[in-house]
Amino acid sequence: MYIDIARRNLERAKIRSVLAVVGIFIGVMAVGAIGIFGESLKVAVMQNFEDVANEIVVYPNPQQGYSYVEDRDIRTIEKIPGVKSAIALRSDALSLEFKNKKIIATVYAMDEKNLKEMFEADKGSIKLSSGSCVVGKRLADFLSLKIGSKITLEGRELKVAAILKDVGARFDINPNFAVLVSEDDFKKISGSEVSMVIVKAESLEDVPEIKKAIEERINKKEEKLIVVEMKMILQTIENAFGQINLFLMAIAAISLLVAGVSILNIMLMSTIERTKEIGVMRAIGAQRSTILKIFITEAAILGLIGSMIGSALSLVGGILIDYAILQDWSYALQPSTVFYIILGLSVGISTAIFSGLYPAWKASKLEPIEALRYE
Amino acid sequence: MKIIELIDVQKIYKTQYYEVHALRGISFDVEKGDFLIIMGPSGSGKSTLLHLIGCLDKPSAGKVLINGVETSKLSDFELTNLRRDNIGFIFQQYNLVSTLTALENVELPMLFKGTPKNLRQKRAKELLELVGLEKEIDRRPNELSGGQQQRVAIARALANSPSVLLCDEPTGNLDSKTGEQIMKIIRDLNEEKGVTVVLVTHDVNLKKFGDTVIHLRDGKIQEVEHVH
Ligand SMILES: Nc1ncnc2c1ncn2[C@@H]1O[C@H](COP(=O)(O)OP(=O)(O)O)[C@@H](O)[C@H]1O
Ligand SMILES: [Mg+2]
Repeated sequence: MYIDIARRNLERAKIRSVLAVVGIFIGVMAVGAIGIFGESLKVAVMQNFEDVANEIVVYPNPQQGYSYVEDRDIRTIEKIPGVKSAIALRSDALSLEFKNKKIIATVYAMDEKNLKEMFEADKGSIKLSSGSCVVGKRLADFLSLKIGSKITLEGRELKVAAILKDVGARFDINPNFAVLVSEDDFKKISGSEVSMVIVKAESLEDVPEIKKAIEERINKKEEKLIVVEMKMILQTIENAFGQINLFLMAIAAISLLVAGVSILNIMLMSTIERTKEIGVMRAIGAQRSTILKIFITEAAILGLIGSMIGSALSLVGGILIDYAILQDWSYALQPSTVFYIILGLSVGISTAIFSGLYPAWKASKLEPIEALRYE
Repeated sequence: MKIIELIDVQKIYKTQYYEVHALRGISFDVEKGDFLIIMGPSGSGKSTLLHLIGCLDKPSAGKVLINGVETSKLSDFELTNLRRDNIGFIFQQYNLVSTLTALENVELPMLFKGTPKNLRQKRAKELLELVGLEKEIDRRPNELSGGQQQRVAIARALANSPSVLLCDEPTGNLDSKTGEQIMKIIRDLNEEKGVTVVLVTHDVNLKKFGDTVIHLRDGKIQEVEHVH
């Protein structure tokens, strides 16, 4: 019956109550929708890095005077249990001529098998026999290269066997603007040694063990190699997204704060208007705690209704923002969305109850005799 | 048995600019089952006196005892329970809760006491029947006449079977015929159910309903008149 009493008090000032509910649901919707979108954005970005998560990248440590990774170290790494492959990369910036254009391009030496494993061809088929090369999508576009085009690298003519698909951002190698050639061809045009080894683990769980093994077997005496887990970098990015999301939600939460203030305001008005009624209730046996309960119930009802509408709309809002920005609304349908809906719901309800505390406390502190005399 | 006992009760209202000596040494007892009328002109201190008896306020000096317990020694919590369980209030302006129906208004004191819903509703219906409002139980106060509202107020006052009914000018806002009906209900409660009644009024026509009439003027007892 206390709920009935509270409900009817809210109905008594319908427009006011509706406005308070609107305030809460806008706030909840803003927090929820931004939370859902932020999570979608993170997932969308992290998807690009999915296939590098089980990689360890090894560089020579220039501070100890190493400018390349030695062959025997590469063989040591290959033998570590859990290592699926160790891709030794030689790279150099070399002059490239095609038709009448002359540019400096990044050139990677790679094994055909590894190349096939890491990238997909957009046109042609990946083949790195002597005299053939594979080019990145952007470079091909820039120079208008086609399959079969003949380019000249440091005076050596190579035939384009394939053009790779555009890959997003990567941390290991980025072939978009590069030419990939076989080890043999590379040795003929450049003296560069191995500048990076990409170590792929059998599974994600093997990564820490492999890193430990490299440190123990190669870096025992001095830090010859720098060993970087991709997972760590990804973790850092993920954390950064989390922080940005939190920041955006905090901004959205300002609208909830405003809603809270409006609830505080209408409830204070309500206590003043209902002074006499509070006096009557106290006279016929309502304890202070009962008055407190009635007012807090009112605030909670406003919060509950507002938050329920708001969290339903936050899903809709999240879907719309995802569609508008990521062009794919299905990102909104993931488990974390449930978390943001529940978060919005609970933050909304607590804001309302918190805002109702002071007016409720004030109402409960009224002296029955003073309240009863109030006109 | 003395249900109410006042010993040299004083009440001074202090405002920022002046003091009002509303009661200047009032002493009297009320026995169980009495019908006491306190009569006096406006401003003589009648309402103040009733509020002290009803535990809504505390005296500036002197003692008010309800069932032998001194009210100024009780906490707000205890006073509230005392009001809820032992005292029924009837006001001049009815003071019903406007958002609640007649039935719900009568349920209120029982709700505050924690009486379960079915018992509450059963008793509220019985009480509304007693005051002749069995057909109006679902109406809100603004859908009831003044006399009907006052009956609801009487039913509400009786909800927790109080030992004392305190009435502050219960007929003050009613025409004389309706006022008479209300007075008869209160008298019947006194005579048939043995409810102790303390009623304040400035209307000399109500004198006939009481056993004892105390005449109050300027915060002092002028005369005690035994009618029956
Ligand atoms: N809260 C108050 N503050 C100051 N003066 C008051 C207050 N309540 C009553 N009084 C004064 O006390 C006197 C008695 O008032 P009251 O008990 O209401 O009289 P009655 O009910 O007989 O008309 C009056 O002079 C009134 O103005
Ligand atoms: Mg009065």
